[in-house]
Amino acid sequence: MIFRRSLTQLGGRVMAMARDVGGVFVLTMEVLRALIPPRLDGRETVRNLYKMGNRSVPIVVLTALFVGGLMVIQFAAFVKQFGARALVGWGTGYAVFREVGPILIGLMFSGRVGANNTAELATMTVTEQVDGLQALAIDPIRYLVVPRVVAMMIMLVALTVIGDAVALIGTMIMSYVVLDIHPYTVWYSLVDNLGPSDFLHGISKSLVFGAAIALSSCYFGLTVRGGAVGVGRAVNAAVVGAAVSICFLDFLMTYLTA
Amino acid sequence: MTARDGQAAVELEGVGKAFGGRRVLAGVSLTVPPGGRLGIIGPAAGGKSVLLKLIAGLQRPDAGAIRVLGHDLVAAREPELAALRKRIGMLFQNYALFDFLSVADNVAFPLLHAGVAADEIDARVAARLRAVGLAGSESKMPAELSGGMKKRVGIARATVARAELVLYDEPTAGLDPVTTSKIYDLLRADQAETGSTAVVVSSDVAAVAAFADTIAMLHDGRIRWVGAAAGLFDADDLVVRSFARGEERDGAAVLSRSVEAARPAPGAWP
Repeated sequence: MIFRRSLTQLGGRVMAMARDVGGVFVLTMEVLRALIPPRLDGRETVRNLYKMGNRSVPIVVLTALFVGGLMVIQFAAFVKQFGARALVGWGTGYAVFREVGPILIGLMFSGRVGANNTAELATMTVTEQVDGLQALAIDPIRYLVVPRVVAMMIMLVALTVIGDAVALIGTMIMSYVVLDIHPYTVWYSLVDNLGPSDFLHGISKSLVFGAAIALSSCYFGLTVRGGAVGVGRAVNAAVVGAAVSICFLDFLMTYLTA
Repeated sequence: MTARDGQAAVELEGVGKAFGGRRVLAGVSLTVPPGGRLGIIGPAAGGKSVLLKLIAGLQRPDAGAIRVLGHDLVAAREPELAALRKRIGMLFQNYALFDFLSVADNVAFPLLHAGVAADEIDARVAARLRAVGLAGSESKMPAELSGGMKKRVGIARATVARAELVLYDEPTAGLDPVTTSKIYDLLRADQAETGSTAVVVSSDVAAVAAFADTIAMLHDGRIRWVGAAAGLFDADDLVVRSFARGEERDGAAVLSRSVEAARPAPGAWP
């Protein structure tokens, strides 16, 4: 009896997950269709760029600064042991550009901007504002979703660039403080050992993560059911969905480009 | 395609709709002539708002046929529906104001997206807001408004584009009697000016009976009664008469539903 009930629950969850994955795929197709021919609501896009990007800069700068410094503290014992002072810039730069920067900032972006986006769209849905748009012959995909997807992709890339730069500044500061390594040494280690491809690898991940966060947050926002309680559930589902997507896509992109 | 002379502006035939196994509408048939004023009354949660959304093409029926302004909504694809919606104005029960836009921008929204010139938009928005008694509130955001003020902004937005068919879902819920009277005067004046067709869902039976020329009562998912508004309070059907008068019948079954329907949403008072 218990086994049967557990199996039923498991089946229900798998079906729900399949429905959500399918829903996000359909939304992706609708967004692509809305972009052919390329038409963008300029006012909505600018409003979202400002709202999503501008207010995220302080938190990204603060986090990236600590992460850059933290990596040096973790490396310090080994750098001293092996005398690998010339590799500090390369090691931290490689990790920040290719993995830590895109993933960390992506997850933070998902928790701040993605969650906010889901809450906003879900509230619009339960208060009939989305119906209101349709009643005025305005396509919600074109008016609400497309500007958000574009804004999130652009802003996550921009924030990753800022975060990468600030993390390296944090690395230089802590290298000097903890290991007495001059910032120039860190810098030359970085530029001598890393190429544009390392930087672009991370940027391409941010672009994909931005799309995943946007689509996940828009999907759960627009399919919300059940008033205020439903809004909370939608935000939770969107953040979890975006986090899982980021990890999966990161693995996939790293594996395919290794 | 427009509603030709003699052709109904709205025509429903055997319309059915269910949500998750719960039947909301079952075989609803109604006709509204061009320029007509239909009032729809009935117990709360009886499918009145769903009926309006079906007429606006926001939902598809499970059964039956719907023709609006000459378009078959059951067969219509999304581009055709979008084109049709430009000719329809709608006031939502919960206002549906865009909370990221100011009062003036909310009212201007349909005109802006219809490509109307900026100076004409400004003039029409100012005139609409004056008409609903909200001159001076242009720059306020929806969150700063009371329920009654939101309702009036919603009415201004629904009527600013001079649509051929205007659907009002509870246009005066939460408004005081004086404002209610003014709102219906406004709807009447608008209709006289534009020749539009109006469908009004309302729990304020007396007010909607005074406004509409025809009343339909929705009960148990079906049209229980249709007739001239003047005959509503003396209808032969006891259920209809009791509901219209707010009288008790069969253990207060109808009365309790009508009282529930007349009760405004929390925070809806102006």
